[in-house]
Amino acid sequence: MTEITLHLNGTQAAHTVEPRQTLADFLRDRCGLTATHLGCEHGACGACTVVLDGQAARSCLQLAVMCDGRSIQTLEGLRADPVMEVLRRHFHESHALQCGFCTPGMLIMGRDILQRYREPDAQTIRHELSGQICRCTGYAGIVDAIVAAGREIGTATR
Amino acid sequence: MAGHAASDSWIGARLLRKEDARHLYGHGAFIADIRMPGLQDIAFVRSQRAHARVRQIVKPPDAAGRVFTLADIGPLNILEAGPELAAHRHGPYPALSDGRVRYVGQTIAACMAPTRAEAEDLADRVSVELEELPAVVDCVAAMRPGSPRVFDSWPDNAFITSTVNEGNPASLAAAPIRLRRQLRMNRQATVSLECRGSLAYWDHRLNELVIYLSTQGGHVKRLGLSKALGLPENQIRVIAPDVGGGFGGKNRLMPEDIAVAAIAMKVGHPVRWIEDRREHLLASVHARDHAYDLIISADRDGTLLGVEGDVHIDAGAYSLWPTGSFMEASMASRNLTGPYRIKHLKLNTFTVATNKAPMGPYRGVARPGACFAIERLVDEVARELGREPFDLRRQNIVTAAELPYSTAAGMRLDTGDYVASLDMAHDMVGLPAIRKRQIAGEPNGRAIGIGFAFYTEQSGHGQVEWVKRKSRVVPGYESASGRMLPDGSVIFHVGTQNHGQGHETTLAQIAAHELTIDPARISIRYGDTATTPFGFGTFASRSIVFAGGAVAKSSRGLIAKIRRIGAHLLQADVANTRVEGGAVHGPSGKISFAEIAYAANVRQEHLPAGMDPLLDVTATYEPTETGGVFSYGTHAVVVAVEPDTGVVEILDYVVAEDCGTMINPMIVDGQVQGGIAQGIGTALYEEIPYDEAGQPLATSFADYMVPCAPEIPKVRIGHLVTPALATEYGVKGLGEGGAIAPPAVIANAVADAFRSIGASFNETPLTPRRVSEAVDRARRAKGAAA
Repeated sequence: MTEITLHLNGTQAAHTVEPRQTLADFLRDRCGLTATHLGCEHGACGACTVVLDGQAARSCLQLAVMCDGRSIQTLEGLRADPVMEVLRRHFHESHALQCGFCTPGMLIMGRDILQRYREPDAQTIRHELSGQICRCTGYAGIVDAIVAAGREIGTATR
Repeated sequence: MAGHAASDSWIGARLLRKEDARHLYGHGAFIADIRMPGLQDIAFVRSQRAHARVRQIVKPPDAAGRVFTLADIGPLNILEAGPELAAHRHGPYPALSDGRVRYVGQTIAACMAPTRAEAEDLADRVSVELEELPAVVDCVAAMRPGSPRVFDSWPDNAFITSTVNEGNPASLAAAPIRLRRQLRMNRQATVSLECRGSLAYWDHRLNELVIYLSTQGGHVKRLGLSKALGLPENQIRVIAPDVGGGFGGKNRLMPEDIAVAAIAMKVGHPVRWIEDRREHLLASVHARDHAYDLIISADRDGTLLGVEGDVHIDAGAYSLWPTGSFMEASMASRNLTGPYRIKHLKLNTFTVATNKAPMGPYRGVARPGACFAIERLVDEVARELGREPFDLRRQNIVTAAELPYSTAAGMRLDTGDYVASLDMAHDMVGLPAIRKRQIAGEPNGRAIGIGFAFYTEQSGHGQVEWVKRKSRVVPGYESASGRMLPDGSVIFHVGTQNHGQGHETTLAQIAAHELTIDPARISIRYGDTATTPFGFGTFASRSIVFAGGAVAKSSRGLIAKIRRIGAHLLQADVANTRVEGGAVHGPSGKISFAEIAYAANVRQEHLPAGMDPLLDVTATYEPTETGGVFSYGTHAVVVAVEPDTGVVEILDYVVAEDCGTMINPMIVDGQVQGGIAQGIGTALYEEIPYDEAGQPLATSFADYMVPCAPEIPKVRIGHLVTPALATEYGVKGLGEGGAIAPPAVIANAVADAFRSIGASFNETPLTPRRVSEAVDRARRAKGAAA
């Protein structure tokens, strides 16, 4: 077992973890943060995407011990995030989710895209979403929602 | 309904979904999110060989009580699956191996530990000695004499064979155009993003088994579990929490579910198995895998005359309870006329056992294969005659005046205007402009192709159709139990299940329409056998027809009683009242549902003399015609293909569809777009090939390609609305239609791109390798001929 310290969703705490435990399993099973979903556990579907030191990262490809001293945000920790608030509203209005299983990862990746691009167009967003699988929606609503959120945030900060 | 001014505004409203908020905040509760004290994880030891005798299973000496073989979890009853036909052979499918394994991934033993990782460690230490047997891997070769057999006692490898003989197929031999084509739609998985899962425990207080399942229908699963476990149904509670997609793949009782339930009954604490992606691709429901060898006959004027030939279905090693896979062959052959006036059919179908994972239903069931076959053949006839494929379709398709029309294969196509759908798609995609663009050529050397494909989607079929299919469970109705609470708010418990289609929203819209109240005052609940009336679940594009009808009927029962109470309280004749805006209106005033419901529930003395209290109506519903109502549509696609690499890009995708009355057009469009995305997966990307030894070659997303946002276009959707005659509001089901036509339309477009060299594209998925090889073959053949 290894001792690590994490800054998780705004709270700093020490944990003891098995070296082989993934960050995803640690978040879900040890911390009860089940918004982070597991769709493949080999880095291909993006359902487990979290924010690691400010960047989107797949929590199934990180070991918890690799995150010692680092900062992690899951969807639970982004409840009051202003960008996430806009994204959630547009996901709702654009019918960007059906079963909801990919949604947390899509939201976190959408927020990441909006941090890296100002008012991204649909093509940019599609390219940036190339590692996120949604099996229900056919992506159209998700892309529309991120485009609309980008425009709204862009307009507000212009 | 006299005196009932049902508000029209909720039927057809683009109401935003009630389901969204919990998922947007990460509060969805999927099966792997459930936490319970004492919960332990199961990992399965699975067969690494396609066909073998299990000689020995050696448990680690320190693992007493933590490793389970079939003997440890029994006695269990074997469920007979497949149609109730004497000709359908039964191969017993045990929850854990009974001494034989018949596909790679079959469950042999179950290992239990506090975490999944530790359970997998334990599974690695279980030693299994297998004696390998010859594997059956090709469903056509499997039917040849001398093939190894999947089941020793069977005379050959067919679960069942059947023939279709309609019209006068002998007349086809003299037809001027006779084209023979071999077509294949390869095997794939269903790939819900949430894999399957089961969590079970014995509730010691209630003395019952509680099992959480990621399932499309808990009541039917309880029926199967009861038979398998030998436990009365009143001691089994099945709960489906949020279900992260299903698409057919979560509508069978699987060996893991039975094993987890049986282990829970032995150990006295909660246990769960959460399927991982490798297990999903190895051993969950597999789908498609049709091989067609067909001759299409036509007159010189383009009149399509008949289809003859063989249909092989690679059904895998076992039949999944309850229905098995015979529907694949029967539905494929019954849909092979397409929407055309084809009079003569002679088909031999073979549902073949092989050493692969068992086949089950997947969005579209059989029709993607049948649509692919007939729509490719229509294009081939057009090419042979030098005709525009669109025109040949228009010439042969059933017209609105001919509906209802019984096809040669016995499908009764009910309402619509198929020609109008073709024309709408034609105009949306702009056929003449694409033909001009093709003549001009592309500066980057890519070949442009345009394709059309038409599909019908049987939906809302009930008793007549399922009895005809010899189904063991006849899903002829759905149920709804509506309850108005003392404050006038309403809860409906329904027997169907939601796995993302938005039933909490659309069923609330139907109830809001009938009850004349806001959908916000209505809750739709499902997914718990302890609280919901019996229902069959969600599959076969049936929920909006059946569950929607049941909610409507239950609502009307509530309204009838509400009106009587309201009239009594208003001191008016019932005949002089009307219901509007959540109140009963009489000649001298109105009274709200809240006041009426308060009286009905907690102030019995205000009710008419002799009236029973409560506002609680359970209703079942079946359409007036139970052979099914048919949604339909035309897909048209423009592709650009790089000839040397075989990479296909979709430039434009349009749909002109008709699903009758739309309850929520936003959800309809979502189903169309999402179905097409899955169909594009079938057409271009998704495949589980097997090698000669029966080893599956795509067991992770590194090998199994699921399309992402860059691969899926935003589909342009046009709607025709022809209400059904046999259903409430004229609705038809539409969940599957999007997935039916994409393989056909994309293959037609790719073939169109290379029509000048006569390349053929008759096998899905159209991977870059298949496309580039087909182009290369056609170029060489053309070169040799010149």
